[in-house]
Amino acid sequence: MGSTTAMMSIGLRAMLANQAALQTTGHNIANASVEGYSRQRVELATASPQYTPNGFLGRGADVQTVTRMHSDHLTREAAASRSLASMDAARLEVLQQIETVFPVGEAGLGQAMGGFLDATVDLANRPGDTAARQVVLARAQDTASRFASADEQLDAIQRHLGERIADSVGKVNDIARGIAEVNRKITALEGLGQPVNDLRDRRDQLIASLGEHIQVTTIPASDGSIGVFVAGGQRLVLGDSASPLLLQPDPEDPSRTAIAVREGELVRTLPAAYLGGGTLAGLLTVQSQDLVSARTQLGQMAAAFADAVNQQQARGLDLGNPPAAGGPIFTTGGTRVVASAGNERDVNGAFVAQVALAVDDASQLVASEYELRADPGGAPGAWQLTRRADGLVRTIADGDTVDGFTVSLGTPPPVATDRFLLKPVSAAADGMRVALGDPRGIAAALPVTATLAADNTGTARVASLTVASSAIDPEQTASIVFTSATGDYSWELRDRATDTLLGSGTGTWTAGEPIELNGFELRLDGVPRSGDALTVAKTAHPAANNGNALALAGLRDLALVGRSLQPSGEVGAGRSFTEAYASAMADVGVRVQGARVTADVSAGVAAQAEQTRAALSGVNLDEEAARLLAFQQSYQAAAKVLQVAQSVFDTLLETTRT
Amino acid sequence: MRVTTSNTFERGIDTLQRRASEMAEAQQRLISGKKIARASDDPAAAAQVERALVREARADTNQRALEASRNSMLQAESALGDVTTVLQMARELVVQAGNPSLDDASRRQLGASLLGMREQILQIANRGDGAGGWLFGAQGAAAPPFIDAPGGVQFRGTPGQLQVPSDGALPLTADGDAAFLRAATGNGVFVTQAAAANGPGAWIDAGTVADPSALTGDPYQIVFDIDPASGATTYAVLRDGAPTAITAEPYETGKAIQFDGMSVTISGQPAAGDLFELQPSSRELSLFDGLGRLADELARPLRSGAQRTQVVQEGLRDLDAMMSNVIGERARLGEVLRRTDATEQRIADSRLLAQTERSGAEDVDMVQAVSEFSTRQTSYDAALKAYAMVQKLSLFDYIR
Repeated sequence: MGSTTAMMSIGLRAMLANQAALQTTGHNIANASVEGYSRQRVELATASPQYTPNGFLGRGADVQTVTRMHSDHLTREAAASRSLASMDAARLEVLQQIETVFPVGEAGLGQAMGGFLDATVDLANRPGDTAARQVVLARAQDTASRFASADEQLDAIQRHLGERIADSVGKVNDIARGIAEVNRKITALEGLGQPVNDLRDRRDQLIASLGEHIQVTTIPASDGSIGVFVAGGQRLVLGDSASPLLLQPDPEDPSRTAIAVREGELVRTLPAAYLGGGTLAGLLTVQSQDLVSARTQLGQMAAAFADAVNQQQARGLDLGNPPAAGGPIFTTGGTRVVASAGNERDVNGAFVAQVALAVDDASQLVASEYELRADPGGAPGAWQLTRRADGLVRTIADGDTVDGFTVSLGTPPPVATDRFLLKPVSAAADGMRVALGDPRGIAAALPVTATLAADNTGTARVASLTVASSAIDPEQTASIVFTSATGDYSWELRDRATDTLLGSGTGTWTAGEPIELNGFELRLDGVPRSGDALTVAKTAHPAANNGNALALAGLRDLALVGRSLQPSGEVGAGRSFTEAYASAMADVGVRVQGARVTADVSAGVAAQAEQTRAALSGVNLDEEAARLLAFQQSYQAAAKVLQVAQSVFDTLLETTRT
Repeated sequence: MRVTTSNTFERGIDTLQRRASEMAEAQQRLISGKKIARASDDPAAAAQVERALVREARADTNQRALEASRNSMLQAESALGDVTTVLQMARELVVQAGNPSLDDASRRQLGASLLGMREQILQIANRGDGAGGWLFGAQGAAAPPFIDAPGGVQFRGTPGQLQVPSDGALPLTADGDAAFLRAATGNGVFVTQAAAANGPGAWIDAGTVADPSALTGDPYQIVFDIDPASGATTYAVLRDGAPTAITAEPYETGKAIQFDGMSVTISGQPAAGDLFELQPSSRELSLFDGLGRLADELARPLRSGAQRTQVVQEGLRDLDAMMSNVIGERARLGEVLRRTDATEQRIADSRLLAQTERSGAEDVDMVQAVSEFSTRQTSYDAALKAYAMVQKLSLFDYIR
């Protein structure tokens, strides 16, 4: 049998339940724009009925719990895609900085190199003119300082990267501590039996912002805490304790920054490839790949260009008194060998084994770094050399020449665990400068001049005379006399002063092929007749001769960057200097373009995942307004129930009074 | 699907920002007129622009080299023109000197005039190119390249021509050695000469080639003898000192003597033992030496008519050889200038091609850019309106 007391109790319960619902709706409205907030809902349950002989009477509704509208799966998805998006965005940002080092057009290195070589044409037009020589030097200065400043820009990007990585690691550690703290609170509070929705939101939010820096995997524990792991299983947070990430110089190359974790006594470096996502992954990838690629391409050009110009310069004569072989115009930063931090050390802490690099042919250098280690098969005297740019692995011996440079191992040789990072080109542009100060030092003249006899009857004339080796001896006069109409000739080398015969022989000239003697190469146009003669003798008037300026100008068309040694022993063509720059620029451009597309896509995916998560967890104010209205009406109805109960009670009292 | 308030705001703002940035990009392209500001805008086109720029710079450099060559060649060509004029005048003088009525003094005067002309030509040969070099500096020469030294004018340089790298090599200097010191001696095939000890009665002409295929290239001598019995004049031809089939042929004045493809005419009355030599021609006739020798001969007094005729004959022959050599050199320079003009056209073409390619790769198609800009403007406008309209809606406005 029902009672008015029970009715009043129902009304009261209903009012309390609706008040809780209204409070929760208010909470939702208040948190509508708080990031990471999951809307909450009051779960009402019908109270257990009251038994009467006439049946079970309902006793109203109770607040059972407050739940948050949340899906672990969607939250994880959103955090993971955000992690990838921030990795791609970080890489794109740095790549765009690298791109400014390779500008298009007048400001670029290609135009600088082209400008220098074009200036040698003006020198050829006026070999004795000091103004033309000054222009060549000024162009050389311009080229060198552009190389040096490009390298300096890359250094600045590297420094900036290091700072950003340190910054990110700091934030990761802060957030990890935050998560550990929230874990502790949740474990403590949820002991009371109800989920702490707001703290759980807070923790999800922390994990999401952690994911912006480094991709994480989470494993919930039974006590309500969550374990956070990075790089495929390295513990970052477990329960209420956080193990911080460490920042250290890359053991392979101390000029780079690496992140590591401590496992007991052991400090383990985390390679970029293991990180999966987050700003840190993006920054470390740029550091180990894109920046290295830009730097090696820059260095490859610098080394090949400086070497080609210096070599050509050494083959000519300057305007000195007496004229001498030209000194080098450019100096470059040279090669670097970095011993791995873990290599064997002596008692003073110095590395035991040393490795030296020497460039043999700068035109064959490849834009790459190399890793040198003992042959994993354990073969004595064999070393494994890995070309980083394309992963080509070669087995070499001490003193072998690979890709234009020679590797020499010191004594004692490296032990099996030693690693070396070889950088034949990376530092070439570093501090590149002009070594020549005197414009008279530019070697515009060739040490020898070819002269055709005046009464030759054939049509042969000198197409080009070049010096193939700086070892040419101009004191030797070469005379060549053609002995047939088909190009057979006999030659003699005589001392210029004493006319002593130093050598003689015969040969056959074929059109297009040079006649090579005494370090010069002579090409002829036309057809010589039998009896035609020519001599190649020391240049009598170096001030007026422009032979070497022509050869310098000829460097514009020679493909001297990145030539490759064919298995046949021939050297394949590379790229010309301006072409090498165009392709380096295009390479960076393609990287940026690709990174931009990737970043757009992953940002889109992240936005989509966030939208899906928000669709479940986010607050819709219109919905809350509707609920507000609904709960308000319920509340009013409950109040009405109370009122009715009271009036029933009053009626009862009235009845009993009479 | 549920739509949540905060996410809707965020997305709306994202969209607006994206639209605004797209519009700004289109505006930037419209203002700068360029599609490519960075390599990543279009890497392939950027590389194309880079290559085209290099080719343009190359064309400019080629043009400068070409101007340097043309400048020298024009000056050298005009200098050789001056030399031709002077040689023409010299030739008239020599013809005049052949006039038998002239006395020794008049001839000496003519010789002095020839020496003046020689001096004039020397000055022309030593002309500078206006930029510190020498027009006829060949492959490098001392300053100045020609010097009047004992033994004749010497060329103190390396024969040949300096080249400059234009679109194909072009010469930068003319070969002074070839132009002034390398005329062919004699008639270009052989040289006729009366021996110094000859009597004053006979002279020999320059000779002609009768049959080029029969030439041997050996030196010959024609030796005269007078038979004491009959008084008949005969001659014999020796080939390099050895007797030939022609022995004791009867001599007739002015009648051509032919052997081994050569034809010479000896006139006058030779004395017994008179010797005429025929040497193969070589390219050793110096213009200065030739004029100097001629002046000396003209100044020599008391010569017989035959000797004077011999001098004039040889003088005209040499002057013609010099003239033809200078004209030949001038024609070569003219040919270079013609080649220069063709090269200039090629350079202009290649520059134009490079510019067209660069423009195609980096310049914005204005019609397209304008239409793109207005499309983006419209879509930005639409996004703004939609955002404003949707964000105005709220249930709270309706709860009163």
